[in-house]
Amino acid sequence: MGRITLERVQKKFGDVEVIPPLDLTIEDGEFVVFVGPSGCGKSTLLRLIAGLEDVSGGEIRIDGTAATDLPPAKRGLAMVFQSYALYPHMSVRKNIAFPLKMAGMDEEERRRRVDRAAEVLNLTDYLDRRPGQLSGGQRQRVAIGRAIVREPAAFLFDEPLSNLDAALRVGMRLEISELHERLKTTMIYVTHDQVEAMTMADKIVVLRAGNIEQVGSPIDLYRRPRNLFVAGFIGSPKMNIVGGDLASRHDAAHIGVRPEHLDIVEDGGTFSGKVTVSEHLGSDTFFHVAVPGLDEPMTVRAGGEVGLRHGDTIHLAPQSHQIHRFDDNGLRIA
Amino acid sequence: MATQHSRAAARFMIAPSVILLLAWMLIPLGMTLWFSFLRYNLLMPGANPFVGFENYAYFLSDPTFITSLINTLLLVGGVLIITVVGGIGLAVLLDQPMWGTGIVRIMVISPFFVMPTVSALVWKNMFMNPVNGLFAYVAEVLGVPAFDFLTQAPLASIIGIVSWQWLPFATLILLTAMQSLDSEQLEAAEMDGASALSRFWYIKLPHLARAITVVVLIQTIFLLSIFAEILVTTNGGPGVASTNLTYLVYAESLLRFDVGTGSAGGVVAIILANIVAIFLMRMIGKNLDA
Repeated sequence: MGRITLERVQKKFGDVEVIPPLDLTIEDGEFVVFVGPSGCGKSTLLRLIAGLEDVSGGEIRIDGTAATDLPPAKRGLAMVFQSYALYPHMSVRKNIAFPLKMAGMDEEERRRRVDRAAEVLNLTDYLDRRPGQLSGGQRQRVAIGRAIVREPAAFLFDEPLSNLDAALRVGMRLEISELHERLKTTMIYVTHDQVEAMTMADKIVVLRAGNIEQVGSPIDLYRRPRNLFVAGFIGSPKMNIVGGDLASRHDAAHIGVRPEHLDIVEDGGTFSGKVTVSEHLGSDTFFHVAVPGLDEPMTVRAGGEVGLRHGDTIHLAPQSHQIHRFDDNGLRIA
Repeated sequence: MATQHSRAAARFMIAPSVILLLAWMLIPLGMTLWFSFLRYNLLMPGANPFVGFENYAYFLSDPTFITSLINTLLLVGGVLIITVVGGIGLAVLLDQPMWGTGIVRIMVISPFFVMPTVSALVWKNMFMNPVNGLFAYVAEVLGVPAFDFLTQAPLASIIGIVSWQWLPFATLILLTAMQSLDSEQLEAAEMDGASALSRFWYIKLPHLARAITVVVLIQTIFLLSIFAEILVTTNGGPGVASTNLTYLVYAESLLRFDVGTGSAGGVVAIILANIVAIFLMRMIGKNLDA
């Protein structure tokens, strides 16, 4: 079981309020991703849940019992750190067994559990090595192994993939998702990478300056961003946001159209401009289009076979039911 | 970029300093070796005949030699234990966030700046003196007879003085090592359920292993040749109770004016120092490999 509730949880460092009071419920078995730009307080929030930081106010409950004043070890949570934080002088086996040893488990049971965890994570051949002799991905797996042997109520991941190269990151992303499918344990995952958030999460929590901007499933956030910040943060490439006259035509202060919801038309259309950069990815092509009267170039997605070049003029028409409208305060208009 | 030519030039240019340093080391060593085979007493001028290993036989068969050897090892071992254990303890304390850290750290390090003769004299006259010393005063207040440290426990007193001097060094090295420990490791251990004591034992202490090795090796080199502290406090006495090898060599050559035996003692001391060094490297040298 791993249902975590935050009630009016707040964190101050001196006079600086890093996290204003916030409420959040994480259901048992959910994969929740905290995402936001750096400095938004997502790691601090995770550390509050872990107990590595003390809350300045509010209440944290794990499975209904108050955990606010419990030390980290008593909360039944396991954490995977950004730097992995493996113990360099211990073998992989001892690293994974460390939490069990601290819990006073007998040697036989320890050995059995470590072997099982190593099997799950493909670490059996490396059990006698030191962390220094492992690659980044293997170290990551040892860190996860150390977390799963304890059979915690929930796993906390603090940007676990940021030290890996791009290819390995995709692989580990899949492995963590698979692990979640298999264990069905609550997982809280912190990242600044919205792709990781979109691909892994059951529920995304978008944070900005300690405030929760929106909570929802990846597809919810993509389809119905609650405000301009979420609209700009979720989705890659970014949503095109347009203000001024064009927006007021739709009775809004700003309108947003995703690159994939702009059609290239022969003539007419809402926007016209010159292609500045074209990015060919093979399957898709992204064109950056400088539209007169707009500060930022618009991005449009087209099929891989569309062959426009720098300086070509194109006309763009947004798909009418895919226009997001926002009011003066940046909030979504239904 | 090191071409054949520039390498030759580099060798040529560093040659003077290398030759100077070699001569600096080899000439006294050679002379000591040479003197150790001569009958050479400053009180009996005249011929200095070659006598082979007579000086060595005389030096090694002297019962004082065994005593001084044991004293040397006790002194080195005792100081090492006190400074390493105390140094770890102080490093743990100084690593805690507290008010006035900067000043406290400087004060902890300051005994290292006091020269050995001065600190030994301060201890001898201001603390351990059975009449005027601070300890005697404390004993008087408590109503117990004063303890004459340098007479009743000469070697232990010297171990205490030398430890006081070297504790800052150990603390400094170990504190720096302690501060280089990744805080995420400690947090991970905390999440894993390790108590403060377990964190110290399983995470901090292994992390300090290399620094401890450095402290032990460097201190051993210096502690084998402790001399000034003995000279100004006990003069090796009472009897030979606080005579170490260095002091014995001094006594032979400069108190009895027997250069031959003193030199032989010096050579024996060199050999013993090397034996200690080999043992140390065998025991703890592997900690230095990354």
